[in-house]
Amino acid sequence: MSQFWNAWKKRKESLRDQSLQQHASKSMESVDDVTITTDLDENIALIEHQLGKSDDLVVRRFQVKTGQDAALVFLDGMVDCDVISQYIIQNLTSSSITYDKSATNELETTTGLRQIIRNILSGNTVLMIEGETEAYLNNTRGWARRGVEEPQTESVVRGPRDGFCETLMVNASLVRFRLKDPNLRVRHMIVGQRTQTDIFVLYIEGLAHPPIVEEIISRLEKLNLDAVLESGYIEQMIQDNRYSPFPQIQNTERPDKVVANLLEGKVGILVDGTPFALIAPSVFSQFYQSPEDYYERFYIASLIRFIRIISISIALLLPSLYIAFSSFHPEMIPSRLVIAMAAGRSTVPFPSLVEALIMEMAIEILREASVRLPGPIGPTIGIVGALVVGEAAVSAGLVSPIMVIIVAVTTIGSFASPSYSAAIAIRMLRFPVMLLAGMFGLYGIMLFIILILVHLSSLKSFGVPYMSPLSPLNLQGMKDLFLRVPYHLMTKRPTMFRVHDKIRLKEEDDQS
Amino acid sequence: MKKQNGGNAHFSFTSWQQTCLITSTLIGVGVLTLPRTATSRLLEAGWIVPILGSIGAYFALWMITKLSRRFPGMTIIEYSPLVWASPENPRLGKILSLPWIFIYLMFLYVISAISSRIFGEVVVTSVLLNTPLEVIIITMFLLAYFLCLHEVEVVARVNEILFPLNLFPVLFIAFASFQKAEWNHLFPLVRVPGKSMLEGALEATYSFSGYEIMMIYFAFAQRTSNKEKAGFFGILITTVVYTLIVVAGITVFGYEELQRVTWPTLELVKTTQVPGLILERLESAFLAVWVAAVFTTIANSYYTFIYGLRQFFGKGIVFQRIAALFLLIPLFFIALWPQNIVEIFKVSSLIGLGGLCLNIGIPLIYWLVLFLRGKGWDESKERKADG
Repeated sequence: MSQFWNAWKKRKESLRDQSLQQHASKSMESVDDVTITTDLDENIALIEHQLGKSDDLVVRRFQVKTGQDAALVFLDGMVDCDVISQYIIQNLTSSSITYDKSATNELETTTGLRQIIRNILSGNTVLMIEGETEAYLNNTRGWARRGVEEPQTESVVRGPRDGFCETLMVNASLVRFRLKDPNLRVRHMIVGQRTQTDIFVLYIEGLAHPPIVEEIISRLEKLNLDAVLESGYIEQMIQDNRYSPFPQIQNTERPDKVVANLLEGKVGILVDGTPFALIAPSVFSQFYQSPEDYYERFYIASLIRFIRIISISIALLLPSLYIAFSSFHPEMIPSRLVIAMAAGRSTVPFPSLVEALIMEMAIEILREASVRLPGPIGPTIGIVGALVVGEAAVSAGLVSPIMVIIVAVTTIGSFASPSYSAAIAIRMLRFPVMLLAGMFGLYGIMLFIILILVHLSSLKSFGVPYMSPLSPLNLQGMKDLFLRVPYHLMTKRPTMFRVHDKIRLKEEDDQS
Repeated sequence: MKKQNGGNAHFSFTSWQQTCLITSTLIGVGVLTLPRTATSRLLEAGWIVPILGSIGAYFALWMITKLSRRFPGMTIIEYSPLVWASPENPRLGKILSLPWIFIYLMFLYVISAISSRIFGEVVVTSVLLNTPLEVIIITMFLLAYFLCLHEVEVVARVNEILFPLNLFPVLFIAFASFQKAEWNHLFPLVRVPGKSMLEGALEATYSFSGYEIMMIYFAFAQRTSNKEKAGFFGILITTVVYTLIVVAGITVFGYEELQRVTWPTLELVKTTQVPGLILERLESAFLAVWVAAVFTTIANSYYTFIYGLRQFFGKGIVFQRIAALFLLIPLFFIALWPQNIVEIFKVSSLIGLGGLCLNIGIPLIYWLVLFLRGKGWDESKERKADG
């Protein structure tokens, strides 16, 4: 039985591989081994053929000082025109600078057509000269880009205000500028067969555990995606359990967060075209930890962490606790509150599960609508939502007043998580736990909690258990889990990421 | 390494995880009836019962630990053939060890069935009055099945993470009910003859069944971890919890009254009041949190049973997942076998007795056989020297 199954699976895989290869070779085979010749016109024709005579392809012909014909090939809009005219054309036509010393900051030579095409597509300018066997690749990238702005999703009260932008090099510089460690390694990779997206894999040598780094790089190499438009593509493809609702790779817009994580021995992945960087391996504590915890005093930082944990629990469990208490265990609530609740519910025609589902759905719709709404009319949705969902639903007798409070607290609670992608996992899991609470009361809620805990314990992020340092227990890591102990007590790095240089803080000598 | 073994879990259990495994498995449905069973023979002195019982339990666990030291990195399924026959004769060893492995696995199987039945009875009679018993049992089974989908290292981590949830409700109830304690219920300290003292101790060892799962899990212990110490703390924590619960039961109700209640610990919960009256009655909350403790007992036993089967047949994780699903069906019928609560208690005390025989019996017999075959302790030193 299993043999048959395996054979069938293998056959299916091999068929798929074949078709994939055919597909890939069709577009690439003509480029791969072709080299350019000494004939300028032929070369230009080759390139134009490859790019299908796109209208934004510019071929600028001129004569260099020494008299040969030359041509610059680039894509309009992708390049910085000033650089091309001032430093390349002007220099080569007028002054005595020879073309192999053209005045741009990056100059490479190549003969392969494929590399030439790639460079043109990424905004570089190719210089080809009659009689030369090599083409010169000048870095002239200069397309429209957004400046460094404050990140929208992870704002802090105290802390740096700069966030990543869509340009890879700028993002890398934001990290470099904070981390002047010569051991910071940046590995360049290209993913996405069609988008050819540049990514940087960042880690600190001597801190990051080499097998983890290798694992990440090998998974990136195996990535067979057609397009990578955002780091989310990569995140979902390389995480350990692709079906889990929990994010096993952290994403952030904040360079300081990336640097802090690199310093804990993790690996950062910067992706061209998106301000969201990835951090792996990552553990459950990403749900409630914010960079600000480290910038403020440790008392308040620890307190705020507790508040976040409570608010996450509220966001997950409060509606289902209401359902459980009101429909299964009214004896647990203080008697006066029971009377008040019963009075509020007296006009409500539905069971509390339906009541809660209606309200939670309404809130989800409001949320989604307010995200999509154009800025100027944004406040409208707030007014409509507050009026309809709050006042009108109660006075119409659809829901009880206490339900409105619960929905409001739940929604606010889910915003308190510093990580958006973690918060939406919680937001989603709220619904199954409501159903279970409607079926089994508190028992159902506990079943769900155990289910989630078993699932969380089974998760791993690149070999690091997701619930560490809680399980497996790691006392060094516990110092920075619920509490954020003062820096002078966190002398060692958490060992769960298997860092190599364990000492974070040298003992102070001046204990005067 | 010649041993074939499923998963990449080898030598990954920390000492703390072993302690958690033992404690979580031990603390289960037994706590709900413990104050009654403990005082049935020893009357006021019932609180000695867990302490006496722990000695027997630790002795058995110590033998299991030594067995696992003798065959490091092997589960009972793997070392049984080596105990019963020489390595050159694996088939004979397998045949001779078959009855023991069968008894061991069947025992785990029945334990998980009866534990879920008892838990189902409690839930249905005290909290979810309109829910059928079968539904509660099935949900517990499904949770256990969910655990069986994972590799063995997950079991350790789950137990570790549920550990606080195991301890918290019992400790809370024990300490909270001391508000109403009448300490003179504990006196006179000793008035029972030595014979019933012994009987009581024997009976007490029943409530300490569950650590036999370590016959499998010690195989995955980290090489540097101290299994004896982990076992000692596992038993010690359980003993403290048990003693506290029994003392709370005796001091609040007195031993005569304890004999008349079905679930004395649940009655303790009902008498407890939360200061400030945030929650008026606690038994629903207690039972809800208590699910974690019951889950660890049922799921650990069932997982161990399934994992034992998987190792016995030398299969992989797929076999484990399929077997775990299909074996739930007979498990369900076993759970529903006892007709009423009286029969359940009869069966569970039989199981207790069986557990005692098994837990002390199997390691004892194995050691006897090892010594009779002249393959006692010395050879393991040679093995170590070999590397």
